[in-house]
Amino acid sequence: MRIKTAGISEFIQHQFVQIVQGITAVLVLILISSAVHAQEIDILLKGGHVIDPKNNIDSKMDVAIVGDKIFRVAKDIPANTSKKTVDISGLYVTPGLIDMHTHVFHGTDPNSMTANSYGGLQADAFSFRAGVTTVVDAGSSGWRNFPLFKAQSIDRAQTRVLAFLNVVGRGMVSRFDQQDVSDMNPVMNAHMINKLYPDILVGIKSAHYWGDFTSVDKAIESGKLANVPVIVDFGEHTPVNPIESLFMEHFRPGDIFTHTFSEINGGRESIVDEKSRKVKPFVFAAQKRGIIFDVGHGAGAFNFNQAIPAIKQGFLPNTISTDLYNLSMNAAMKDMSNVMSKFLAMGVSLNDVILRTTWNPAQVIKRPDLGHLSVGTEADIAVFNLKKGNFGYMDVRRTKISGTEKLEAELTIRAGRVVWDLNGISVPEWQMPATTN
Amino acid sequence: MLIKGGHVIDPKNKIDGIMDVAVKDGKIFRVASNIPANTSKKTVDATGLYVSPGFIDMHVHVFAGAEDPGYAGFGISNGFGSVAPDDFTFRSGVTTVVDAGSSGWRNFPAFKKQTIDNSQTRVLAFISITGHGMLGTVHAQDTTDMNPVTTAFIMKEYPDIIVGIKAHHYQGHDFTPVDRAIAAGRITNKPIIVDFGSSTPKLSIEELFMKHFRPGDIFTHTFSGSATSELAPGGRQSVVDANNKVKPFIFEAQKQGRIFDVGHGGGAFVWSTAINSFKQGFLPNTISTDLYRNSRNAGMKDMANVMSKFLNMGMSVQDVVLRSTWNPANVIQHTDLGHLSVGAEADVAVFNIREGKFGFMDARGSVLNGTKKLEAELTLRAGKVAWDLNGISGPQWDAVSK
Repeated sequence: MRIKTAGISEFIQHQFVQIVQGITAVLVLILISSAVHAQEIDILLKGGHVIDPKNNIDSKMDVAIVGDKIFRVAKDIPANTSKKTVDISGLYVTPGLIDMHTHVFHGTDPNSMTANSYGGLQADAFSFRAGVTTVVDAGSSGWRNFPLFKAQSIDRAQTRVLAFLNVVGRGMVSRFDQQDVSDMNPVMNAHMINKLYPDILVGIKSAHYWGDFTSVDKAIESGKLANVPVIVDFGEHTPVNPIESLFMEHFRPGDIFTHTFSEINGGRESIVDEKSRKVKPFVFAAQKRGIIFDVGHGAGAFNFNQAIPAIKQGFLPNTISTDLYNLSMNAAMKDMSNVMSKFLAMGVSLNDVILRTTWNPAQVIKRPDLGHLSVGTEADIAVFNLKKGNFGYMDVRRTKISGTEKLEAELTIRAGRVVWDLNGISVPEWQMPATTN
Repeated sequence: MLIKGGHVIDPKNKIDGIMDVAVKDGKIFRVASNIPANTSKKTVDATGLYVSPGFIDMHVHVFAGAEDPGYAGFGISNGFGSVAPDDFTFRSGVTTVVDAGSSGWRNFPAFKKQTIDNSQTRVLAFISITGHGMLGTVHAQDTTDMNPVTTAFIMKEYPDIIVGIKAHHYQGHDFTPVDRAIAAGRITNKPIIVDFGSSTPKLSIEELFMKHFRPGDIFTHTFSGSATSELAPGGRQSVVDANNKVKPFIFEAQKQGRIFDVGHGGGAFVWSTAINSFKQGFLPNTISTDLYRNSRNAGMKDMANVMSKFLNMGMSVQDVVLRSTWNPANVIQHTDLGHLSVGAEADVAVFNIREGKFGFMDARGSVLNGTKKLEAELTLRAGKVAWDLNGISGPQWDAVSK
C-alpha cells in the first residue's frame, strides 16, 4: 500500500513538475516568439532568386508578404516567422509583370473590333498564368465608352487593368471609326483622365489612321492637357508617313511607338532598313531622346528579320508587351511569358527582359508604385521556372527560331493573394480522409 | 499537310502506334505507316509526339457576356462567369467543347449568335432545362421555367448543335428538374447531364441512377464528394462511402450505361475520391474540365492539366485519350467526332508528355505530385493549324526570304 501510495504521490509530483516545466516552456516560447513577432508574415517565398531591377536586386533572397503588401525582402528570413512558407528554391521571383499593350474590353458587340467585342479578351484568362498582374489596355475604349469598359471589364477583373484612352471617342469600334477626326476631342479626353479616372487612365492611343499626322497630333494635344504619354500604332498610312518625323518632330520624350519590330508591305515604315538590315540611325537617336519603343507583338507586328538584326546591333526595346487580342492569342504571340522567352532566345539577358516587363513599363505609364518589390508596395509577384530544353518561337510570318530556355509562370500573387499556382507549390499534399472505422 | 512519325492513338479505330496522318482539304485523307513526305505540300515532323483526335471537352461554360443576375451568383448565362472558348481550347489540344447548360431555350439563339458563330472552336451545347439557362442559383429553383416541350422545340431547331439537356443546382428535395430534363430528352432522344444534389437532406444518387436516369444519361462532378462530405447533412452524395469505398451501385449504374463525367470545375474534384475510385477500378467515362471563371486559374486550369491528373493517378495515355475523344463523342451522339477516320473533319491534337516533377491541385487545395504532364504541341481544327506551341509547322526564320 505504502509503496503504491508513494508511487501515486511520486506520480502526481512528477506530473506537477512536468506541468510546471510545460507552462514555463510555453511562457518562454511566448516571450521569445513575441520578441521576434512569431508568424506575423502571411506568406514567405523562400529560397528563390529575386530579380527586382528597380531595387538593384539580383540574388537569392526571401520575400515576405503581410496582408496585401510586401513586408520584407532579405536573405534567410526564418520560416517560423511566417504562417505559410512556400519553398521556391531553383525558381526566379520578380515583381508581377506589367503587360503594357493588351485589348481586354471583352463584350458582345458583333460589329466591333476590340471595343466591347470578341476581339477583346478577358484579362484574367491570360494574365496570371503568364506571371502578369497588371495589364494596360491600348485604346480599346475612347472617352465615350470608357465607363462601360470600366464597369464591364476593369471592375470585374482580378488583374489590375489600366488603360490608354483612344484618341477617338468611340474607341476601336472599326478601322473606319479610327479615321473620324471629328470624334478626336483632346478636351474631352483630358477631362476623362484629369477629372474622372486619373488612377486608371495612363495615356492616349492613336491607331490605324490613314491620313497625315492628325490622329497623332490630336493624341499629343490630349496628352499635353492631361500630362500623360501617347502610344501610337503608326500603321496604315499610304504612302507611309516618315517615322523619323514622328519620333523627332511630333513625339515628346516619353511618347511610345508600339509594334516596334513589325515589317509590313506598306502602311508602316520599319525601324530596320529592309535592304541593308541596319537599324536606321535616327532610331538610336530617338531612343536617346526619350522616345519609348514598345514591342506590341500582336498578330502582325513581330518579325524576326527586324528584331534579330536590331538586337544584334544593340537596339533593345524599352518595354516588352503582347498586344493580346483574339487574333494574337493562338498565333505566334501566345502569352506574355512566350514573348519574353522569345527575347531570351534572341540573346537578351533575363535581367534585361524582366526590366522591360516590370520597372520600365511602370515608369513609362508613370506608375512608380508598380513594377518593383519595395517594402510597403502592393504584393504583386511573379515566380518563374526557367525551363531548359529545346523550344521553338514563331514570328508573325510563321517562321521560327530555336531556343533552349522558356519562362513558365509557377506562382503568381496579386495583392498578397495566390492567383495562380501551376504545380501546387503553395498547398499541402493530399491526404486520405479519416474513415468511420 | 502530313504529320509524320508520331505515335497515333485513335481509340475508335484501334490505332495505337507510329503512323503518319495526311490531311487534305480540311479532312483526314489517310492514316498509314510511312506516307512519303514528297506526296505532301507540307510535312510536320511529329517524332516523339503523340497524335490523337482533337479532344472533346464535354463540360464547359462559354456563354460569355455582360449580363448580371443582380445578386451574388455565378452569372454563367451570358455573363461574366463564362469564358471565351478559343482562349482555352487549342492550347490544350481541344477542338470541340460542349457547353453544359449555360443557355436555356429562351436565350440559346443569343448564345449561338454571340459565341458559337464567333468561335473557331467547335461549340456544341447542352441546354439548361431552365429557360433562362444558368443565370444564378435563385433562377435554378424556378420550376415554372422548366418546360420540356419548349426545350425540345429549340433542340429540334438546332439538332446538330444541341446535344442534350442539363439539370442543375436545384435545392428542392425532389427530382423535378431531372425529370423535366428527361422528359425533354425523351421527346428529342438526347441524353441529360446532371449537376445533382444541392438539397438538405441529401437526395439519393442511387435513386437518380436506377430509377430516373436512362442509359446514356450523365452524372457530372463525379469526384466532387468525399468520405468526409458524405457525413454532411446536405449537398451531393459522394460516389465513395464514409470509408472511402466506392458504393457498389456505382459499378452497377455504370454497367447499365449511366455515364460518369469528371466536370472538374472550381469545387468538384477531390484527390482522395478520385484516387480511391481509380484504385478500386471505377474510372470515369469522360474527362472534362467544367471550365468557367472560377475554375480556370485554380486547380483545374485547362483540359491538358485535367488529363495529366489522370495520367499521374496511373491511367494509361490510351485510356485518357479514349475518355477525351471517342467516349464523349459517343455520349453526345456525335459519332462524326473523336476519331481520325478517313473523311472525318481534320481535328487533330499533337501532344507531348513532358517528364519531370509536377504537381496537380484538386479543388480542396491539396496537391498530388507527379512526373508526367501532357502539353499540346500542335492543334489542327478542320485541317488548319490553330495552335503551334514550338513552331514545328514553320520554317526557320532565316530560311525564308523576306
